[in-house]
Amino acid sequence: MTRPDGADRTGMKARLHLWIRLILLAAVMALLFVVDTATNYEVAAAVFYALVVLTAAPFLNRRVLIRLSALCVALTVLSFVLTAKGNLSTGLANMGISVVAILMATWLILKMDAARQAAQDAHAKLVRIARIKSLEGLTTSIAHEINQPLAAIVTSGTACGHWLAHDPPNLDRARQALGRIVQDAGRASAIVARVRSLTRGDPPSTTVFSFNEAVQEVIGVSSGEIARHGIALVLELAPDLPPVHADRVQIQQVIGNLLLNAIEAILSGPAQSRVIHMASEVVGGMVQLSIRDSGPGIPAGVRDHLFEAFWTTKEDGMGIGLSISRTLVEANGGQIEAEAVKTGGAIFRFTVPPVQQENSR
Amino acid sequence: MTDAGVVYVIDDDRSVRAALEDLLASVGIRVLTFGSTTEFLAYGLEDAPGCLVLDVRMPGQSGIDFHRRMAGLGIALPVVFITGHGDIPMGVEAIKQGAIEFLTKPFNDQTLLDAIQNGIGKDRDHREQLAESAELRARWAALSAGEQDVARLVVRGLLNKQIAAVLHVSEITVKVRRAQVMRKMNVRTLPDLVRLTEKLSPDSLT
Repeated sequence: MTRPDGADRTGMKARLHLWIRLILLAAVMALLFVVDTATNYEVAAAVFYALVVLTAAPFLNRRVLIRLSALCVALTVLSFVLTAKGNLSTGLANMGISVVAILMATWLILKMDAARQAAQDAHAKLVRIARIKSLEGLTTSIAHEINQPLAAIVTSGTACGHWLAHDPPNLDRARQALGRIVQDAGRASAIVARVRSLTRGDPPSTTVFSFNEAVQEVIGVSSGEIARHGIALVLELAPDLPPVHADRVQIQQVIGNLLLNAIEAILSGPAQSRVIHMASEVVGGMVQLSIRDSGPGIPAGVRDHLFEAFWTTKEDGMGIGLSISRTLVEANGGQIEAEAVKTGGAIFRFTVPPVQQENSR
Repeated sequence: MTDAGVVYVIDDDRSVRAALEDLLASVGIRVLTFGSTTEFLAYGLEDAPGCLVLDVRMPGQSGIDFHRRMAGLGIALPVVFITGHGDIPMGVEAIKQGAIEFLTKPFNDQTLLDAIQNGIGKDRDHREQLAESAELRARWAALSAGEQDVARLVVRGLLNKQIAAVLHVSEITVKVRRAQVMRKMNVRTLPDLVRLTEKLSPDSLT
């Protein structure tokens, strides 16, 4: 799933940058020391050590930063001792100002850092709460989903009894009712299976499979829904896609969810232009599926929230479909995004990693 | 107007719809099913006492919202709610809005059938009342202005002589008009007339 050579290259690049910065900083510090020592007491070049501390702060951790600022203070004091010319009391005052400036810069950075840390903790907490909330939504959703076929089963069962009790019994209608019962029972058990695979905590069980085939399967399941609402489905599946490496069931859940969203979006819009456009292709080394609908699109300002748990534009939505989709896509090493289309409608795209052709490890 | 009831079912779930249709057919109730409120509105109402079985959670417009809008749309059908997931506030809200029943799926069929019969009965009463008051208004409209004046004063309990004085007409004229009122309103006694005019809206009597 990961691409080791790529990750290594980025890591090396980052380390190189760090070294270049450190060397530059050391050079600046040496220059400051020389200027401060060589000039009169009145020239307070040491104040600029505060700038060194500020510049270095973003790429150093707390401990190293404290050491750096201690070093700067030590250099300031040392150059004061080594300086030979000028007014001694001015030199003392300048040294004091420099030391205070360095210490204050350090203190402010540490303070800001602590605040940022606190904000991060709070955010993590919120994310956890959102997860629990979305679980609540999930159970509600499951209850609703499963009660639909159950209601149909119970009602059909009673109807069947009535047809049999007629005199003479209406066997045809009774048989039809029984057929519906069997069908709805199958539907209920499919929902249970879907929910179980969704809530299973274990990591995705990745396999290598044909992406287009998986897409076609989902379309097959939804074709009745698409036909019933008179929606035109335009398919543009790239024929030469590499096989992908992901959890097939999870990826199909994502496709199904996006397709269902597209259908719902279209139904809420005008009836004349009901088109869903699905395309698969290779983008940036990843296999990508895009689903474009001719619905009302994504209102401005909404796009950033779309994938958040418990956030929805649907009146009766739970706001968990897209959030779960994102979790699933990311668990499989891909990314998901949404975009409004200028001519109307919305487009959702997600990526799945292709199988690694040669082992580059 | 046919007197047999008709049940309208609005539920986005196809199999629930099919099952309900079959259940109601098996007990001899006429039923029409719709996948959305839009479909239902496009079809319109039949001229028969009816009852609406409404799913709460549907894509597009929810059942609760539709129920709230019904009066504005001129639909006075009694409503039985069914829902796959209902909580207490939702049920309270629905009943407060005037629904006759709030059932969670899977529901007890007898409860549903009873609620539907109850709803059809209510609608039948309501329609009879409407028809009766329409008939009454027609009779009242058939009276001439002078006869209406007499009728109003008669109902207030004035004697012929007093009415004649108020309207500045002869007592004979009052008597003639009074007889006409009794005939046109199709009543024989004064108490009958009072009872009928009470059912008319108050502003037609002032």
